[in-house]
Amino acid sequence: MTKYIKKRLIGLIVVLIGITFLSFIMSNISPVDPAEAFMRRNAQTATEEQIENLREEMGLNLPIHTQYLRWLTNAMQGDFGKSLVSNKPVMEEILSKFPATLTIVGMALIIIVVLTIIIGVLCASHKDSLFDNLTKVVTILGVSIPNFWLGFMLLFLFAVSFKLVPVVGYGSIKNAILPSITLAIATSSSSIRLLRSNMLENQNKDFVTYAKARGIPKKKIIWKHIFKNAVPPMITLFGQTIGYMIAGTAIVESVFSWPGIGSYAVNAIFARDLPVINAYVLIMAFIFVICNLLADILNAALNPQMLRESGDL
Amino acid sequence: MSKKILEVENLRINVLDGTPLVKGVSFRVCKGRVLGIIGESGSGKTMTCKAIMQLLSKKNFDISGKIEFKNRNMLDMKEKEINKIIGKDISMIMQNPMTAFNPMFKIGNQIIETLMTHSNITKKDAYDIGVKELEKMNLDRAHEIMNSYPYSLSGGMLQRIMIAISLMLTPSVIIADEATTALDVKTQSLILSEFERIRDNDIGLIVVSHDFGVIARIADDVIVMKDGEIIENGTVYDIFDNTKDDYTKELLSARLLRKEVS
Repeated sequence: MTKYIKKRLIGLIVVLIGITFLSFIMSNISPVDPAEAFMRRNAQTATEEQIENLREEMGLNLPIHTQYLRWLTNAMQGDFGKSLVSNKPVMEEILSKFPATLTIVGMALIIIVVLTIIIGVLCASHKDSLFDNLTKVVTILGVSIPNFWLGFMLLFLFAVSFKLVPVVGYGSIKNAILPSITLAIATSSSSIRLLRSNMLENQNKDFVTYAKARGIPKKKIIWKHIFKNAVPPMITLFGQTIGYMIAGTAIVESVFSWPGIGSYAVNAIFARDLPVINAYVLIMAFIFVICNLLADILNAALNPQMLRESGDL
Repeated sequence: MSKKILEVENLRINVLDGTPLVKGVSFRVCKGRVLGIIGESGSGKTMTCKAIMQLLSKKNFDISGKIEFKNRNMLDMKEKEINKIIGKDISMIMQNPMTAFNPMFKIGNQIIETLMTHSNITKKDAYDIGVKELEKMNLDRAHEIMNSYPYSLSGGMLQRIMIAISLMLTPSVIIADEATTALDVKTQSLILSEFERIRDNDIGLIVVSHDFGVIARIADDVIVMKDGEIIENGTVYDIFDNTKDDYTKELLSARLLRKEVS
């Protein structure tokens, strides 16, 4: 197990270096010159000389590999430079935006897990019932409806018409309910369907037949034998989903005017705020790979056979 | 004639769309005797066993006739009553030992689970019984086996564990459905001697196989099935020495042919 984790950690470092490299190169070869963009935004009439000075100050005139190494050494110490827009340290700004995003992602995750387990198990154990068929329709809708539309509809319904929650605001759990639900709907829809089909697949396995032949009660067969064997692929899915949700909250955040990391990144992209973009990409990549790693380790702990099959015991 | 334990009368199994799988099968299982059911795949022998074990969902199959156990028709029983019998009074040894256990739980867990479903004992007692039963099956290091996951044990070991599980609740009937098919010849022979011991325990044993060698070695009575019907039945000597039906002759000669080749 420790050998497995070590092996994965080394792979993880390689992936992270690759990502920083790519993101750095790509933002640097984009046709917009960040120094020029910055000057044009701050001074109405920027002279060629002023821009040149700034370029030097930002280190943009150095060869790209020197720039990259310089950035990487600083980044490893937690220093991502200063935002070109606000002139504050990027790390500080990102950290201050994180709690807002984590709040709605965390709440969304709870909603997803609860909905998935309850509805998924009910659908699988009552296959082709009215409930199962209704769920099928609702989940197809849930996967297809765009986030922003759903967000606006929920706002209109619960905040404007019924006045159950405030339209805008940040700070209390009440404010976070609608964004979390919006964020949770699409993922729960697909994970309900995944859990259902995983369980149905396991229902026909030999060990379920044998459990029945041993006289194990139906409820226990569903939860212990069918559900538990359907869980590992779900953990993998959730591992990816968490990263995806943290990185993909931008739309939901802008619908609900939520001051999170997503809207911060979108603003940075529009403003060509390179240090912020680079830092954001690296942190998101880090979250992604860590979530995936945790999911895999959890799976390996749940199902030791997996480790043996991949020869990592 | 020894005492009958289980009687199947005119058992019919249809798929809900009307396709017949088993067309009126009758036989009885007696105490201390081995009933061999033989037939090619698709002859309905496994379906018959599954019907006795109540493993066929009423959502997919239409089952009629009588499966009489302790003077009651199991087909009329409620789920609660069935659950008390299946796994305890009637137990089963499955075809493929490698996939019959839940891969996510240790063997001990699955043995304890079975014991605690059918008797009112503590986990600790169930563990001790499990170890004792495994030792009875000539499995060394029973404690180690209890703490192993199924994937780390061999097919022969798992099959013996399954036999131990089928025996530990002192059932009156055991059904072994192709229980030796997935095993190599040496292990097969070992398992068959375990079956002989089961018979000596006054248990009615049903052995399902497509292999006449297996049937010849342990069965007392034999029924030959084809296309969902019994086409010949009798004692093992009747079937082997005075074969009446052409199909049975065919099966027998196929077996002989295979022996010559190997």
